[in-house]
Amino acid sequence: MMLLEHEAKQLLDSVGIQVPRGLVIRPGDGTPDGIESYPVAVKAQVRSGGRGKQGGIVRAGDRPALAAAITRLFATAFGGERPEALLIEPWLAIERETYLSVAVDGRADGYVVMYSARGGVGIEEGAPPVRYPVGAPWNFRVHGLRKALESAEPDYQWREKVIALAQRLIRTAAMRDLTTIEINPLATLTDGALVAADARVVCDEWAHFRNKAIHAQREAEKRRAEPLLRDCLNMQHMYVRLDGDIALISGGAGMTMAAMDMIADCGGRPACFLDCSPGPTSTRGYRPAFAMLDADPRVKVILVSVFGGGTQMQRVANSMKEIMAERKSRKPVVFRLDGTNVDQVPGIFARFGAHNHARLEDAVAEAVRLAGGRA
Amino acid sequence: MSILLDRTNRVLVQGVTGQMGTYFVEDACKYGTTVVAGVSPGRDGAKVGDVPVFGSVRAAREATGADTAIVFVPPAAVLGGALEAIEAGCRLVVVTADELPVLDTIELKAAARANGAAVVGPNSPGIISPGKAKLGFMPSFCYMQGNVGVISRSGSLSYECCKRLTLAGMGQSTVIGIGGDPVKGTTAAEALGLFHDDPETAAVLYLGEIGGSEESFVAEYAARPDAKPVAALIVGHTAPPGRKMGHAAALIGSKAESHAAKVAMMRSAGVHVASGLSDMVETLQAALSHGMRAAQDAAA
Repeated sequence: MMLLEHEAKQLLDSVGIQVPRGLVIRPGDGTPDGIESYPVAVKAQVRSGGRGKQGGIVRAGDRPALAAAITRLFATAFGGERPEALLIEPWLAIERETYLSVAVDGRADGYVVMYSARGGVGIEEGAPPVRYPVGAPWNFRVHGLRKALESAEPDYQWREKVIALAQRLIRTAAMRDLTTIEINPLATLTDGALVAADARVVCDEWAHFRNKAIHAQREAEKRRAEPLLRDCLNMQHMYVRLDGDIALISGGAGMTMAAMDMIADCGGRPACFLDCSPGPTSTRGYRPAFAMLDADPRVKVILVSVFGGGTQMQRVANSMKEIMAERKSRKPVVFRLDGTNVDQVPGIFARFGAHNHARLEDAVAEAVRLAGGRA
Repeated sequence: MSILLDRTNRVLVQGVTGQMGTYFVEDACKYGTTVVAGVSPGRDGAKVGDVPVFGSVRAAREATGADTAIVFVPPAAVLGGALEAIEAGCRLVVVTADELPVLDTIELKAAARANGAAVVGPNSPGIISPGKAKLGFMPSFCYMQGNVGVISRSGSLSYECCKRLTLAGMGQSTVIGIGGDPVKGTTAAEALGLFHDDPETAAVLYLGEIGGSEESFVAEYAARPDAKPVAALIVGHTAPPGRKMGHAAALIGSKAESHAAKVAMMRSAGVHVASGLSDMVETLQAALSHGMRAAQDAAA
């Protein structure tokens, strides 16, 4: 789960890393008083990337310009996301921009530190950053990172500051269950100060049981969701909306993606990624999934594709029987259940006139045909 | 042969008195897995089926000679349980749990390294060596003993693919679920190393997805002159960038993590990459016959 910029900066500030002194405003707050000097930066607080390139950061030279920027930014969506807050900061006199991050990386069996002597918005286009594999956080070594940075950063005084900062970031990440802390740019100001001018922090949602802040983030994420989706999230379903018309109720991330791909390969368009396997594989678990997809006007067909191991298919089939009996929508549903106890499925399906496709290919072809595509 | 798991593993089940543990004992014993002990603190002296329950891994190991653990406890208790098994000397620890904080996996992996143990998981269906033993909930009928080693980031996808292999008469030496999380007890690279050294494994099928960097290990292996034939299926060409597709690691964060980039990288290294689920079996067959031709050419 990604924090908003102002939340990320607050976190960095709490461990003694210098950030610009900012002011957070919400819709309806109006133009704040007490801004001591202009120009200021007005920054949309959204989670989607590429905010700068989409005009989400505005320079305001005086109070009227600030008022105009606030109105405009609150009315604009960035990557489909309307800002829920704006961050107003002094416009920084930056002398130099570098890049520093610590992040979990499977190749290191833990964390890596990444540094680039040239940071800022063009970081993805430039040479790849220097990568120092740390692994378990207690394996961070100052001399290890120093060696890694020797060629990338010739200014030894700056280098030592970066190393001390990286050490603190690793410790913070470990203590607060963070999977990424990225400071880009890590800036030197004309007065010599080192400042985290922008920050991206991602926390590990599965640490919610031991971390109150992460628990609160998770709850807030659910509250932001539409009510029908919220019911699904409360069942631990994982949902990503796509732009097609064939919806999936599926089990397991890999099989859900395989079915999405097969729909596309067959000339259809998948409407969503919806993995219901983490939740209860009962009527209670699947009901909100049908409720959400039945209410979605873009969805023409629902394909239920579950290949279960621990999930027993006679239970899924019985849940489908109950849901089909209570369901009001007439959207067609295509079934493909396989896995543990699949031999009991045809008997259960016969009782409510449903057909279970033996092969995913046949189920997908049927769904694509019903959606009006080719196949 | 097979990797990590065969008929010699003596298995203890942590969290054996829970619903999953109890179901596992019944299902795994039916398959032929040698389940010798259960562990459930405070419940020593109890029995689950015929399996005696102990209060600690060490007590279970001393009484039964158990050397392999499978952990069925809630996410908050997984690290504690798995460390207990590793430090008591188990050679293999299987963690199926999802929703495990990544820092716990990092610690688990470090402990496994230090103690010379192997960990499979987390967020994994487990591991099965068909015809010998299974440690996980995979549907047994999908598998058949043979010479294809399977590595999968996704449980359900491995069931589907193994059923297809079995129907096509292509059995499996071992099927290992490396899991959907960014840090893995056993990585694709480590699993490939084990399959490479396993005389029973003639070819490897790798089942991957978008996001992460695991596929670069597979490409590196396939580029080795002595590599066994490798086929792969990478799912998620319809997944949008920047969105987590269920698994924590299934997120396209950069161009290199996209479907197209992974497929191109793997193909250029000599991996036979299927275009989809439907031609996965043919792709593996092509990899095998290509490997056989190469071996004949080398002999001639």
